[in-house]
Amino acid sequence: MTRFLPAFSILIAVIATAAPWGLPADATFILPLLVVMMVFCWRALPGTELHPAAAAILGLLADLLSGGPLGFWALMCLIAATVGLKPGSFRERRNLWKQWLTWTALISVLGLFGWLLASLYYLRWIDWWPILLGVVASIVIFPFVLYGLLWVWTGHIGHSRRTLFRRAS
Amino acid sequence: MSKRSPSLFQRHRPSWSAPVELLSFGLYFLCAVLLVLSRVGHGALQDARDELVDLSAPFLELASVPAIEVRRAMDRARLYVRVHRDAVAEVDRLAKENEELKQWRWRTQLLERKVAHLRKLLHAAEEPALVYATGQVIADARGPFVRSALVNLGRNDGLRIGYAVINGDGLVGRTIEAGDNIARVLLLNDLNSRIPVLVGPRAARGLALGDNSAELQLGFLQDGAGVSPGDEVYTSGSDGVFPRGLRLGVVVGEPGEYRIRPFAELDSLDAVSVLFFDAPALKRTDPEGLADRGGALSATPDPELEEDRTAGGPQVPLAPVAAISPPMASQAQTDQ
Repeated sequence: MTRFLPAFSILIAVIATAAPWGLPADATFILPLLVVMMVFCWRALPGTELHPAAAAILGLLADLLSGGPLGFWALMCLIAATVGLKPGSFRERRNLWKQWLTWTALISVLGLFGWLLASLYYLRWIDWWPILLGVVASIVIFPFVLYGLLWVWTGHIGHSRRTLFRRAS
Repeated sequence: MSKRSPSLFQRHRPSWSAPVELLSFGLYFLCAVLLVLSRVGHGALQDARDELVDLSAPFLELASVPAIEVRRAMDRARLYVRVHRDAVAEVDRLAKENEELKQWRWRTQLLERKVAHLRKLLHAAEEPALVYATGQVIADARGPFVRSALVNLGRNDGLRIGYAVINGDGLVGRTIEAGDNIARVLLLNDLNSRIPVLVGPRAARGLALGDNSAELQLGFLQDGAGVSPGDEVYTSGSDGVFPRGLRLGVVVGEPGEYRIRPFAELDSLDAVSVLFFDAPALKRTDPEGLADRGGALSATPDPELEEDRTAGGPQVPLAPVAAISPPMASQAQTDQ
């Protein structure tokens, strides 16, 4: 069951993203980016399995529910799944800054890419402010999501007892 | 000789990485193809999408329950704080508002009698009453591309594409996709939303243009239209899709850069009503073959079903809508 936990948690997040939370119009980009962030984080956590195809399918589901063009969030999730492995595993729990920096770079590029793609799609410059707001918000909440998922996966945020004992000996 | 650590000399590369890379490339390509097909508006893709969204309806409905409850709890808490902060002033305000509403009711009844008398004198034809169905917003689907919402009403309820959607405050949008049990509503402020409107007491013609922000642009106004901030905006019905006279919003901003602030709070929609207004223009939007199915796209809904619709959900004040509307078909023809 735990094997499917990453995909299942992202599925829940995708459906929750579509729920009518009553967020203001400018803040609508935050929740979909949370899904992309979860894909990135699950790929970074050790011992977890989230296949790129699963990430793309979950992104496609987000596209379906959002009413936007099919393939947009699938592409975003796929890129996040690809880049999620690059900074190395989060096993040591010491490389938070590295992960955070990678996410900052990734989401900045994805935000710009998304804005350009949306503008190209409509053949006009779309409003960039909600995307920027979503990008900044996702950078701020990244550690919380990363440690939250770590807690979901392992049941604890810090080092496990076994690791502590091993270090003491 | 000590055994060398494999991690130093061997790069961890699973044997299945090559197929995964190939698969990733295929997925990227598939995403690009889907984006292009979505832009083109491929029919099969759209149908498949409708089916899948329809299938997801129960899950969305389930997921919307906590979201709606949380939102209502927050509204209640906000109201509670406001009332307890300044209870006396709040009671005074409500009493004053109540008095004003009583006066308005009296004036409305007077005007209704007057209109009925004048219509009788003119031998005016009776306007058909607008039938509507009330549903719940179960998904707030918004992103960089669209501003839309999913409601738990579909073709089984008699819905069709292009119907106007309102709530107690005013116009919300129109249906753009309709599955069996679920429909997507394109909100007023979506980039694709274009609604012909009348502005102010002089009924200046214009176009309400969505741009994905909270307010709408007011464009295509005639020179010397005499529009000023605070003027009410309502639908003209000249597109042959919306009934004439649906309240939309109020004019704000500076001359030359007028915008429309919608009456309906598009960010926190709850219960909405779909107006079963079958304009001639809507018949073109019906997918091929659906007309043969009967029932679902019927322009005149089943009376029993109609009773069910009006019985459930909050009451939406539709009487003014019907009262404002002149004979719609003739108006649309005149505008065209």
